[in-house]
Amino acid sequence: MLKKIARDFLILFGLFVLWASTSRTAMTYLSDKRNLVAWWGSYQCLNGDLVSMSYLDAVKMFNQPNPRTGFKTPLYNGVRNTDLYLDGDSFTWHLKDSNFAGLSSFHYFERIHGCRYHLDTTKRNVLLIEISERYLQSYFSGLQMFDEVLDTSRKERRISYLNIAEQSHIRYASFVPSFDVHDFFNKYINQNLQFNLFNYEFMMPIFEYKAALNYYVFNRASGDVVISNDRKFLFFKETVSKTDVGSSYYPVTQEERARIVEMLNKVYDHYKAAGFSEVYVSIIPNSATIMQPDGYNDLIPSVQKDPRLRMKVIDIYTPFKSSTEVYYLSGDTHWNFKGKQLWLDVVNERLQNDQATNPTAN
Amino acid sequence: MTFNSLQFLVFFMVVTLWFFRMKQQKGRILLLLLASCYFYMSFIPEYILILGGTVIVDYFAGFLIERNEGSARKGWLVVSLIANIGVLAVFKYYNFFIDNIHSGALLFGKSVTLPMLKIALPIGLSFHTFQAMSYTIEVYRKNQKAEKNFLVYALYVMFYPQLVAGPIERPQNVLPQLHEFRAYNWDNVKEGLARMLWGFFKKAVIADRLAMIVERAYGHAHETSSLALFIAAMFYSFQIYCDFSGYSDIAIGAAKMMNIRLVENFNQPYLAHTISNFWSRWHTSLSSWFRDYLYIPLGGNRKGAFRHKLNVLIVFLVSGLWHGANWTFIVWGLLHGVLVVLLTWERRQEGEKRAGLNLAFRIALNFVLVTFLWIFFRSENLAAATGYIKDIFAFRGGSYYLGVSRAELAFSVFIIGVLLAREKYLPTHYIKENTLFYCYTLIMVMACYYLGVFSENQFIYFQF
Repeated sequence: MLKKIARDFLILFGLFVLWASTSRTAMTYLSDKRNLVAWWGSYQCLNGDLVSMSYLDAVKMFNQPNPRTGFKTPLYNGVRNTDLYLDGDSFTWHLKDSNFAGLSSFHYFERIHGCRYHLDTTKRNVLLIEISERYLQSYFSGLQMFDEVLDTSRKERRISYLNIAEQSHIRYASFVPSFDVHDFFNKYINQNLQFNLFNYEFMMPIFEYKAALNYYVFNRASGDVVISNDRKFLFFKETVSKTDVGSSYYPVTQEERARIVEMLNKVYDHYKAAGFSEVYVSIIPNSATIMQPDGYNDLIPSVQKDPRLRMKVIDIYTPFKSSTEVYYLSGDTHWNFKGKQLWLDVVNERLQNDQATNPTAN
Repeated sequence: MTFNSLQFLVFFMVVTLWFFRMKQQKGRILLLLLASCYFYMSFIPEYILILGGTVIVDYFAGFLIERNEGSARKGWLVVSLIANIGVLAVFKYYNFFIDNIHSGALLFGKSVTLPMLKIALPIGLSFHTFQAMSYTIEVYRKNQKAEKNFLVYALYVMFYPQLVAGPIERPQNVLPQLHEFRAYNWDNVKEGLARMLWGFFKKAVIADRLAMIVERAYGHAHETSSLALFIAAMFYSFQIYCDFSGYSDIAIGAAKMMNIRLVENFNQPYLAHTISNFWSRWHTSLSSWFRDYLYIPLGGNRKGAFRHKLNVLIVFLVSGLWHGANWTFIVWGLLHGVLVVLLTWERRQEGEKRAGLNLAFRIALNFVLVTFLWIFFRSENLAAATGYIKDIFAFRGGSYYLGVSRAELAFSVFIIGVLLAREKYLPTHYIKENTLFYCYTLIMVMACYYLGVFSENQFIYFQF
């Protein structure tokens, strides 16, 4: 009898887990709820996303906490006449208007969601597209067109990027409101199952033992994480694998470079026509590009220096490259406090200079 | 859904437990069929329509073959074969064919532009197509009665453990088992589970570990020393063996748990002392398919020495092509055929008693030969394959780095030793004592997890 109950329980449990790992609604609900209750909360590693991915927390070789606040407020005494629209990613999370000089307002949005905005034509509207190097190729070479919807009643423009060839963000399936057979056979189901079945704080020792075994015995990290040649940094595998377009060592062809420049120009023309005074791009180098430059494919400098490029560039590659400081976290894909501060300094200097030379509104 | 995924583990648990919950065979068939559809659709959902289409054609073709005689009987067999080979031709070989026409035309200074298809190859197409064809051929030969129950026939083709990478089954083996209600059998569960665990071990601990080394060598052939390249080539021999036979072990084990016995696919192939002996130990379900449905109908060895050799070459050529639409596979198959034909002295000695050092030497020599032929199989194109072989025979120095630490390299050699010893001296998977079985299960689960390399690596033979 007990065996039958156990069998039926396992069948129901298995079906539930499969369904929950396919359904967007269920995944959202579960991840929200789990973080409210400590004992079944998901693994929260504060020592970097790569440490987290490779479960190297216990090894402590790459643990380096990074404060999110404390950036200096730039001095500015002029007229605050710039509305800054920052189209960013995780590198520019948690920024606020006080981090920038001379802003009348600051708007942040992430590219994949599209956005709604309303340009104040009495101000100087500036769009800054910040993109990390590993997405540059896949994002801009796959960008086919824009869809712009003008809502005349609310005087708002809605921009959404369509036909992006590759989006790296995890997407959960949804049964509601529409059912798509591809959602049911969600390709992220294994990640979701991993989250639902094993990603609990109390299970972490199991994963950490394996990570430590790989690190100490086989001298490598697990999963999609690679240890740098000097053993001081962790790199995301797709930023160092020669076969991945996001890699610093991927052999980029002339055609691929030209395609990126062409798409940057299209984006530039689009937003200029939409009413922005200026459009900038700032490409954040992969940590491997700076910390392990042998064999670098030269993507950022070659795109930035391409004479055909019309979009203005805020160059952070050159300051990073020419400095002896370390601007990246050892166990994270992102930059450290100093790296972000240096980027803010470069951006502020550029915005102030351009405002000084072109102070007028649209 | 690959076998080495969490999705499969949960799916398998649900299906197997539910299977034993069913009190009637009818329900079990329906459950397994639905589970097989879900399994197949988890790769590319739309392709279930292609598979479903061929299942319907072959099901009715089986009936019509059975009911007719003479030319009509043959005609319906031809319809079935055309349907199956047609699907293969369109999805697997069309682009290769057109590409070669383009290249051929360029050789004569002409430019021809024929349309290419932008379609993905359905997973395991060659496997289930061959399995389907064996059914209609056997019905035609009157070795098998046409299956009346459509669901049973569909399950014969789509049974999920062996749907995408074999073993390629025969109707005489599987169909009677699908009709029979067999009660839960703890011994079968133990044996099946132990075999599945061994398959997981071969895939995760050996094959995917060796894959790191092999990938590095093939990606950096020009800067790697000859010795390191040769070692990596030998590692590939074990990688592909563990990858493919690991899959077969999981498939056979999973079926065994549900009281279904599938045919064996491997028998320690690297202990073969000749190439022909290798083929009686490697992917035997395919070898026997070609023997029964191609080699023997071509005349086998009954039509003189020259025709015999030609038949052997044809079979190996087709076998190469079966693996993939690429010249590397064709050359790989053809070279195996040429070696089988040329090394006739080997076959003359087949019946002779061999022992000791002589046999060990021949096994080692045969392994090296097979390893060199695998280079064609692994390479992206013929130029890369010949370049890799040239680099080995350049006997040059260079980097000995193979993408992993020395400790991992040493562990890889050790684990290959474990593999060979386990399969030679402990070939059975059945453990009678329950306590011993639980201990074995625990050790294997721990070994698979802690020593396994978990990446996005699919099984190599899925592409075929």
